[in-house]
Parts: sequence; structure tokens; C-alpha cells
Amino acid sequence: MKRILTTSLLGMATLFANAQEKKIDFVEYDLANGMHVILHEDNTTPIVAVSVMYHVGSKNENPDRTGFAHFFEHLLFEGTQNIGRGEYSEIVEKNGGTLNANTSQDRTYYYEILPSNQLELGLWLESERLLHAKVENTGIETQREVVKEEKRQRVDNQPYASFIPESFKRLFKEHPYNWVPIGSMEHLDAAQEEDYVNFYRTFYVPSNAVLSIAGDIDIKETKALIEKYFATIPAGEAINLYRDVENLSDSTFQAKYGVSRADFNTQNFAKPSSKEAKKVYKTSKKTDVVIPRPSATEAPLTANIVDTVYDNITLPGVFFSYHAPAQNTEDSYTLQMAMDILSSGASSRLNKEIVEKKELAVQSFSFIYPLEDPGMAVVASIASKDASIDSLKAAMDAEITRICTELVSEEEFQKIKNQYENSFYSSNGRIAGIAENLANNYMYFNNTNLINSELEAYEKITREDIMRVAKKYLATNARVELYYLPK
Amino acid sequence: MKKIILSLAVLGSMYSFGQLDRSVQPKAGEAPQINIAEPATFELSNGIKVIVSENHRQPKVAFNLVMGGDPILEGPKAGVSDFVSEMIMSGTSNRTKDQIDAEKDFIGAYLSASSSSVYLSCLTKHMDKGLELMLDITMNANFPESEFERNKKLFESGLLSAKSSPGEMASNAERKALFPNNNPYGEIMTEESLKSITRNDVLAYFNMSFTPQDAYLVIVGDITVEEAKEMAEAKFGSWKGEAAHKAEFNKGYFPKGNRVIFVEKPGAVQSVITIAHPIEMMPGNPDQIKLSVMNKILGGGGFGTRLMQNLREDKAYTYGAYSNLSVDRYGSYISASGNFRNDVTDSAIVQFLHEFTNITEGEVTDEELELNKMSMSGSFARSLESPQTIARFALNTYRNNLPADYYQTYLKNLMAVSKADVLEVAKKYITPNNLNIIVVGSPDVLDKLKKFDADGKIEMFDAFGNVSKKVEYTAVNMTASDILGNALKAFTSTASVEEAQAKIAGVKTYAMTGEASMSGAPFALAIKEYMAEGKKYYSSLSIPAMGMDVQKEVFTAEKGMTSGMGQAGPVTTEMTADELAEKHANFNIVGLDYLDLLNGEGVKVLGALEEDGKKLIVVQYTSEGNQKTAYFNAETFLIEKSVVMVELPDGSQAEMLNTFNDYTAVDGFMFSTSRKQVMGPQAVTFSNIVITLNEKLDEGLFKF
Repeated sequence: MKRILTTSLLGMATLFANAQEKKIDFVEYDLANGMHVILHEDNTTPIVAVSVMYHVGSKNENPDRTGFAHFFEHLLFEGTQNIGRGEYSEIVEKNGGTLNANTSQDRTYYYEILPSNQLELGLWLESERLLHAKVENTGIETQREVVKEEKRQRVDNQPYASFIPESFKRLFKEHPYNWVPIGSMEHLDAAQEEDYVNFYRTFYVPSNAVLSIAGDIDIKETKALIEKYFATIPAGEAINLYRDVENLSDSTFQAKYGVSRADFNTQNFAKPSSKEAKKVYKTSKKTDVVIPRPSATEAPLTANIVDTVYDNITLPGVFFSYHAPAQNTEDSYTLQMAMDILSSGASSRLNKEIVEKKELAVQSFSFIYPLEDPGMAVVASIASKDASIDSLKAAMDAEITRICTELVSEEEFQKIKNQYENSFYSSNGRIAGIAENLANNYMYFNNTNLINSELEAYEKITREDIMRVAKKYLATNARVELYYLPK
Repeated sequence: MKKIILSLAVLGSMYSFGQLDRSVQPKAGEAPQINIAEPATFELSNGIKVIVSENHRQPKVAFNLVMGGDPILEGPKAGVSDFVSEMIMSGTSNRTKDQIDAEKDFIGAYLSASSSSVYLSCLTKHMDKGLELMLDITMNANFPESEFERNKKLFESGLLSAKSSPGEMASNAERKALFPNNNPYGEIMTEESLKSITRNDVLAYFNMSFTPQDAYLVIVGDITVEEAKEMAEAKFGSWKGEAAHKAEFNKGYFPKGNRVIFVEKPGAVQSVITIAHPIEMMPGNPDQIKLSVMNKILGGGGFGTRLMQNLREDKAYTYGAYSNLSVDRYGSYISASGNFRNDVTDSAIVQFLHEFTNITEGEVTDEELELNKMSMSGSFARSLESPQTIARFALNTYRNNLPADYYQTYLKNLMAVSKADVLEVAKKYITPNNLNIIVVGSPDVLDKLKKFDADGKIEMFDAFGNVSKKVEYTAVNMTASDILGNALKAFTSTASVEEAQAKIAGVKTYAMTGEASMSGAPFALAIKEYMAEGKKYYSSLSIPAMGMDVQKEVFTAEKGMTSGMGQAGPVTTEMTADELAEKHANFNIVGLDYLDLLNGEGVKVLGALEEDGKKLIVVQYTSEGNQKTAYFNAETFLIEKSVVMVELPDGSQAEMLNTFNDYTAVDGFMFSTSRKQVMGPQAVTFSNIVITLNEKLDEGLFKF
């Protein structure tokens, strides 16, 4: 008896200690130029993730210049004022690090993972990218070809992969989710150097960026380094003034600003040498960079949009897509649960009924495409060798109708919650993931601490909510139905 | 706990504010110490060796049970082990597959298995339940018959897609070239071996593979060593089993001179090139780290490697070229590969050979050595973030009898590798004149490869890495003209070519209807084809259930049009004058494409062969611009099958196989009423074909 008691007390102590350990601590603050900073210290492994997230994605693009946000993700590896062409990645590799970037409809994300004694190198690299990347024809020409290869490899050559752009295209007529980040190759071909430069001047500014650092750092020392590399980046339009000092000829500069370029010193930019130049600097610093954000709201679908797509495939596919609520709304969490009851895990409804029992599909899945504005939810199947499309569609509709009209069982409900608890911890297993989650939570929701509290959002949801929300969004008569057939 | 200095650069950082010179790249700070925790190890009463790596960052724990026996050779039943991995979670004597799935999902656990291991990862609080499932699978898997049949079907589809995947074909050929006999790496499932596998084979393999003797249990995560000890003994300690399977394998075939192996992929626009040879090295060999540095410089990832610089950056032959060094106790090898467009296939091989030779002939540069060593040390350091890495190190140390401090001293040994070391191991292990040169590609590139083969004889492999069977024709003493004449007489049931031609001239209209079903899309398709004299033509393929035409083609003497489903709906295109002229030239009211070839000109007689007990006579000619191989029954002279090389929209070519069955006479014409068309993994079956001749047709068919 005594032994049991001790064990359980010990157990509780461990549990308590664990609970404390599991919380992800961070500090966050704004620099004077508007850049947001998030720091998370974890000294377990001597590595550090340095990342910058820019609040620009394909939804900020001009409809006749699509693909720009993603294109910039490529272009910004080409080099800067101080880093030669092709050297950016080499510097990282040479110093034992790795780097990458990715672009969504809503944001563009760059990161390096470095040995922790190279923190300063990472900050320098990212500050170079923000302050004065080389946006010029040589790099543009090279990356255009690379992006085309990427599209061939990732979209054109991947069976079924086009269902995402094909669905978005039909679901969104008003909102720029109409197109996807890879964009149009024709638009990229048609764009001029000036278009690219303007995009950089508009979106790559400190007030549109979040610097998120996680790993083996010392907070105080890191703050000092951030002061050095980022706080010194000019605020507002002054960053573009700085870029002009570096790029424009004396005469063009004089004509544009009415002062001499020579009055500015980029190494001590806040202190130009003439009174007039000081004035120009102050005015531009106070002028905010206006960042266009889409305001279009999409009208609900009133009927089904049915289409066939021919692709290099062997087995036909059925893809239903629906308008979905924006991320982090109550509806979004609730619909997420409905989707996971449909298809998360081998015991999920779609897998058991359609794949294993009826053998109508080799794969059946559903998900919400996580987006800042109201986006897309998908329920889809890849038909099995001997299945008829009609029976497959009927079976999918039966499952969709069921979740809209019947309460999910207590057991399924608990199962999904258990799964969330597991994936919640898995997603924060690595410092690179933590850096990105922190930045996401701040950028989209202005709530960095969501990294510690997201599970609570699911706790409030009831089984009745799931049925109600499923019914609201998964209408069988107002959706996009795409049928994929072999070419 | 050992401590290691990550990098040689030790420089304090000094921050000065005010003026900032951004053109100066910052120096590294003081090198951090890397701690590789030493996991706890102990043995259970039944001999299972346990490795525990504590990590309390997250309330999760993972168990990996790894069998200690050697792989079991499968011989003619290659693929049995694939069934074991796919089916081990398909049912036990206590639970159905549905129950296993439900219980596993309920606790949000991840459970997976291979033919010699089972892995569980879950929240610590669900550990008991998770282990219960893991144990049930490990000890009581019963491979239900119905699941066996279901998986067999899935493997059939998988093999079909392997035949259209150049990457898989290349990998199969490489494994067979390196390890042709008495080695598990050379065993690859084929359509033949799949047919021969029974449920009993699967059970036998499982029983032989899964035993606690010599097995390892690796525990990682939020658990203390004490808890782990108690848990492991309680759960796994009572498991009993036979002695683990022991085997010795052949360490690979070392080619004498360069050896070219070709795998045909008709119509390919790119060649997959693989250059490989076995290496005599066991894990832990003192040369291994040096050789891995050599491999990294040659092409082991990143942009700063020789293959990447040469083949991509300099020559632009490819999107990427890489080399890979695999050191394993059952067989080690080095290989390099990439995808290359057809016309640079031979030039690319020249460069691969150059790089293989070059690295054995001179020292690498200081920059190359530094860049690649730093890149390797960085990725080693990053890998340590995962607690799984620590456990993997411990498991490798055990299984390969590595020195106890192998991983602790890894970075130090890596940093000590010199240019002379790299050259020394390159000379010792790389054999630039004894390589397997494996090419998967279009037959068009074949001729250019002969020069690379030491004896000039290229070996042909099939999609699964076996020597492909060459078709042997026997001679036929008939001319092309005789063969086609006989075919014409047979088709028209006449006694002479003249009579046949007159009979065809008597046909004024032709009408055909039938059903079609496509593999995977068996909503019924309907086909229709109508022809009338004066070059009038109509054909359509439609889906009655969806009420739409998938394809339609209509032409008359004056104009023609085609329509099909585009991505945004039906698209109708008018034929150009050239297209129409071609259609007219090919127009034949009974569908014959060799009427103009009866004199035998341009027709090649390939010979005779036996197939499925039938003797076939084979000729080759051009039909509608495509090369066609026609197989006539040697007795009846009716066509049995044909193979047509067709061009796909992306410019590549593919073989289309047509087979003809169930001949019926229609006014004395012999028509096949059930046909099959196969192209790549896709098959269309035409059935219930009804043909009528000289019936009055609705003129509306030929209107636009």
C-alpha cells in the first residue's frame, strides 16, 4: 500500500514536471521599424533555427501577375548587395547549415537551421534578404526556368496534383484564392524587371515580417544581435530610400528625391550629411508602406459545378470541394473534427467503408486547406481497379450525408481528441517546427501563445456542433465536383 | 557522457553598434559542445536486448522491436516478405483488422511494421494500450485469407505501375546487377513470383522471422530507465521463440570490365542512368568515414559536388545527379545516377565515367574538402535533435559490432579526414573500369551505348531486373505479298485477291456499335462507328450514364471535325486541309489498312512464332503513319493481335497492343466482336460488337 502510494505520488510529480516542460516559452516584441520578433530558447541540441515570415502570398498578387510571391521565394536566394550570385546557399552549407523556403496563398517563409555558434551568420543572411536582395534580370531569367521545371515536376507530372488548382479555380470567382502559388508561367514571362522591383518594395519591408528564432540561443545576446542587424533596417518608406541610394544613379536619385545621393551613407543611414537629406529621410521614415490585402468575399455556391479533367492516370478520381471557414475560427476547428472523423486513420469512416469494405477506392481522404481567409475543404477518392464511378460517388455522399445528419459516436469523438493531443506534441518536436508555428500563430491570429493553447479550442466543441457545422459547409448540392479520368 | 567540439573555429564575437558594415560576413561564435547521451542498455530474461534513450521534452514514447536474425532468402517466391510487412497488422487470433485499426486510432497511436520489425509511437499515458496491440501483432498475427487476397490484388496493381515507372525499373536492374545471386537485395517480386506466393508461405516467413532470440527492443522518449525495465520485462519477457535465422550472403558481383545493362522503355524521352559497383566493406571499417567524405564530394547531396557541378551547372544535361554510398553488413555498394534527355545519354555517361576516374587519380581541392566536411558535420549535428537518432546509433553499434565510442568520435574522425585520405580510399575502393552502367530508356539510345561495354555485348533486362526473354522467330517461306493476300482472302471469305477486292468494292455502308470498359472506369462506355461510300465517316465514344461524348470524329469529302472533352468542357476542332487529306487517304469502308500494300512493298516479314499454343505469322508495316506489327493466325490467317507504336501528346511514344477474339461472319466478312486494347497500365475492353453492312444510314450522322 505504501509502495503504491509513493509510486503514484512520484507519478504525479513527474506529470507536473512534464506539464511544465511541455509549455513552449517565448519572448516577443516589436522593433521600432515594425518588425515583430519571437524568440524561443531550447538548449538541448546546439542548433538554431533562424526564420523570417513575410505576410505575402499568392492572394496578394495582381490577377495578371500571378506566381509572383512564389517566384520571389526563388529569387531571394539569388544574392544580395553583399552576397554574390549563387553564394547564399553555399555559405549556409559551408557553415554546417541547411536552408529552405516555401510559399502559400497567405505567406512566404524562409529559414536556416545552423549550428548555434552561427546564429549571427543566420541573422546577417536574413537581414541581407530583407534589406537589399538583388532583384534584377539575370536572376529573374534563371529562376523563371527553374520555376517552370518545378511546375512540370510538381504539378504537371504528378498524377491528380492539378485537382488543387482546378478546384480553387472553380470555387473562387472573386477572391484571389482563384489561383494557387505556382501561378501562371505566361504571367511570369510577361512581367518586366520593374514589376518585380515594385513587388519587393511593397511586401519585403520590416512591418510585413516576423523574425522567429528557436533553439540553442541566449535571449539577451540574441536581442543584441537583432538590434545590430534588424533594428538598423530603416522603417516605412525609408527602406526603399535606402535601396534607391544603393541602386539608382546620381541623376535619377537627384530627380526622384531632389537631394544628392552622396548625402547618404548606408553604413550610418539615420544620419545623412545634409539638412535636406535628413528631411527626406525623416519624411520617408514616417511614410508607411501600404500593403494591399484582398478584401473580396466570395459568394456562396448556389449549385454544383461539375467537370471532368483528363490526366496521366490509371485510376479515376473523384474530388468534391467546398467553401470552408477561415483558419482558427470556431467553425474551422469544428469542421476539422468532422473531416478527421471522415478520414483520419485506418479506422476512419471513409477508409473502412469505401476502401476496405466496399473496395470502391484505393484511397479516400478529406481535409481542410488551411488558409487565412475562408478557403477550401475537400472530400476525395481514387477509384479502385474494378469500381464504378457512380457507386463510388454514392458511397462518398452517403458518408457525407451521415456526418451532416447523425451525431458522431462518443467513441469517435474521443478518438479524434486523442489524436489531436498526439499530433499537438508531434508538431512541436523540432525547433524548426516551433519557429514556424510561433510565426504562423502571430501572423495569422496575432496570438503567438496559441502554440500552447490550441488544444483548448477543441475542448469546447460538442458532437452537436460537428453535425451542425458539417451540414453548414458540406452541402451535396453546392460544391465543385471534379472527375479525373485517364487521358 | 562524452563531449566533443563541433568545429575548429573558435572566435569570440564582439558587437559594436553605431556603424554597421553589412558587407562583412559574421564569424562563427565559440563552437558549441555536442553531447551524445549514452543510452541505457540491458537484457530481458528471454534474451531481448533493450536500449533506452530517455527524452522528456514531450509526453511521448516510442518502442521499436527489431528482429536479430538475418534476412530469409525467398528465391522463386520473391515478394513473400512484402506480404508480411503489408499484412502483419491485418488481424491476430484475438482481433480483426477493424479492431486493431479502431483501438490504435482511438489512442492516436502510430503503429507500423516491416517483415522484421514492429514500431509503436504514442503518448506516454497510452503506453499500456499501445503495447498491448504491439504485442498482439508480434505474437499472434494470423494473416487472414481474405486480407491475403485483397493484398494480392493490390500488389498486382503495384507491379503494373512498376512497369511504367523508369525509376523503379532502374532500381530493380541495379539491385539485380549488383547482387545477382544469394543476396536478399537481389530479390524482387515479379508477376510470376507473385502468382506462386500462398498464404502459407507468408505464415512460414513470419514464423521464421519473428522470434525474441537475438531481437532488440529500442525504447525512446518520455520514460525512465527504471520504468522501461519493468515495462519491457513485464510485456516482452515471456515471449518465447526459436533460434534466430542465420545466413551468409554473397557480397555482390564485381563486373569484369565495364558492363552495360539496358532496360527498354519504349517512347521514353529521358534515360535513367545508374553507374554502380559493389564495395567490399563492413560497417565500422576504419575507411568508412573517409569513403563517405569521398562520396559526398563526388555527388553525395547539395550543389557543391562534382557530379552536380559538372552535369547540371556546367553541362545542363540534367536537373540533378547524385551519388550514394551504402555500407551494410549484407552487401555494400556505391552508385551514381540521374535522369537525362535522350540525346545526351551517351555524353552524360562519358562525364560519369570521367568523374569516377578523376576522383581516383588526383587529390580533391581544399575548398571541396572543407565545404563537404562542414556540410556533413552540420547534418550530423542536426540529426542529434531527434531522440530517435540516439537510439539508432546505439542499435547500429550493437548490430554492427562498432567500437563503443564510434558515434562519439565521429565528428573528430570526420574533421581529421585529409585530401590524401580521400585519394587513398578512392584508389582502394572505386573501380572506374569495372562498372555496371545501367540505362533505362528508349530503344533509340541503345546503339550509342555499345562503346561503353567492355565486350560490346549489351545485356537486356526486363522491368524487374531479370534478363529479358528475346523473341525468337522461325523462318516463314512466304512473301509479304502472300501473307497479306491470304489475310485478305480470309477476312473476306473469298478464294482470290481480285474476288476479295470486288467484294469490298460492293460495300456501300458500314455500321458498328459496341460497349467499351476501361480499367478503373467501368461506367459503361459506348462506341459507334459509321462509314459510307464517298469518304463519309462518323465515330464516337460516349458515357451514356453521364450523357456525354468523350470523343467524336466526323468527316466527309469536303470537311471534318473532331471533338473531345477539354478541361473546361467539350472542345470542337475543325480538321486542317492536311489532316483531312490524311483521313481520306486512310479511309477504308471495312477498316483494312493494308489494301495498298498487297504487293509487299514496305512490309517486313519478321517470321513465325508460337504463342499460347497457336502458331502466328508476324509482319510489320506502317499504318496511318505509325509502325504496326501484325500477328496473323498461321492456319486461319485472321488477325490475332497487333502492336502499334503511337505518339502521345507529350511527344513520347508508347506501345498499343490490340487483341481480336470471337470472329463472326457478316455477309461473309470475318469481324472480331470482342477486342482488347492495352497501353501501359491502361486497358480497354470492347465487347458486344455488332456490325452491319449495306444498311441504310441516317445521313444526319455526317452533318456537323
